[in-house]
Amino acid sequence: MTNETWEIGGKRLTSRMLIGSALYPSPANMEEAIKESEAQIVTVALRRQSAGEGGGNNFWDIIKELNINVLPNTAGCHSAKEAITTAQMAREVFGTNWIKLEVIGDQYNLQPDPFETVKAAEILVKEGFEVFPYTTDDLVVAKRLANVGCKILMPWGSPIGSGQGLMNPSNLKAIRKQFPDLKLIVDAGIGKPSDAVEAMQLGYDGILLNSAIALAQDPIKMAQAFKYATISGRLGYEAGTMQKREFASPSTPTVGTPFWHQFS
Amino acid sequence: MIKVSVNGEIKELQEGLNVSQMIETLNYKIKGFAVAINTTFVPIAKYEETIIKNNDTIDILAPVQGG
Repeated sequence: MTNETWEIGGKRLTSRMLIGSALYPSPANMEEAIKESEAQIVTVALRRQSAGEGGGNNFWDIIKELNINVLPNTAGCHSAKEAITTAQMAREVFGTNWIKLEVIGDQYNLQPDPFETVKAAEILVKEGFEVFPYTTDDLVVAKRLANVGCKILMPWGSPIGSGQGLMNPSNLKAIRKQFPDLKLIVDAGIGKPSDAVEAMQLGYDGILLNSAIALAQDPIKMAQAFKYATISGRLGYEAGTMQKREFASPSTPTVGTPFWHQFS
Repeated sequence: MIKVSVNGEIKELQEGLNVSQMIETLNYKIKGFAVAINTTFVPIAKYEETIIKNNDTIDILAPVQGG
């Protein structure tokens, strides 16, 4: 394991994996998977709950006991206004100025609405939020989000919950190249550990995933797999990969090869 | 009495209640929640001074799982 730290939203962390808390087979399974992932940021949400429902809210008790950073989301919002109200409510409930800004523009592929996302981000940054905007891999939208003060960008790999991996690595690469100083997280679409490796090898600062772990046949084992994949991809990026070559090149020295031309 | 919508359900409340009194009347026991009235967030500091009005739409949100 690596002890190297990095910074995001004013916190120093060792893990570069952000994990979701939804869709697990049981609360106990969720708790164990989050622990095994060694993630230090967990995403949560706010929803209507009737009086008496939830018996004191076991879910929130479990999350609090994990003692890791909580990143509330604005999932399900379709306008800047809804997202801003949700963010304000989340700040009070969860006691954090972090917000995963999600403003959905299309119900079929849950693609973020770039116009409403930028509008909401601008206001939330002014209100003192640390905005983690969920966006597409569109470079111009990324620029607009950076211009309104976002220090973190979270482009999708592919649509939420699809597990399709990185649909457009070259767009993700372009965003990395344009914003060397922003924190970049691939959010959504990661399906298997090799997708996480790929995202990290592009130089992204981290990954955010939920379904890939929660919907695995063994979420706890998959949480471990993603932990190692994230570390592996980051180390690979830092180490610098070799240049591809068109032809084969022997790795074993040719000098001193035995039986040189003795068999023909 | 006034009629309000609380998390999508129509409820009858006594007239003139503030947000704290409304929470008490509804017997809302979830730990950690936030309130919005007519889509505007009402912070805890404003519970006492915010009076519930007829036809208000109230959302009470609490933590749940999220991705």
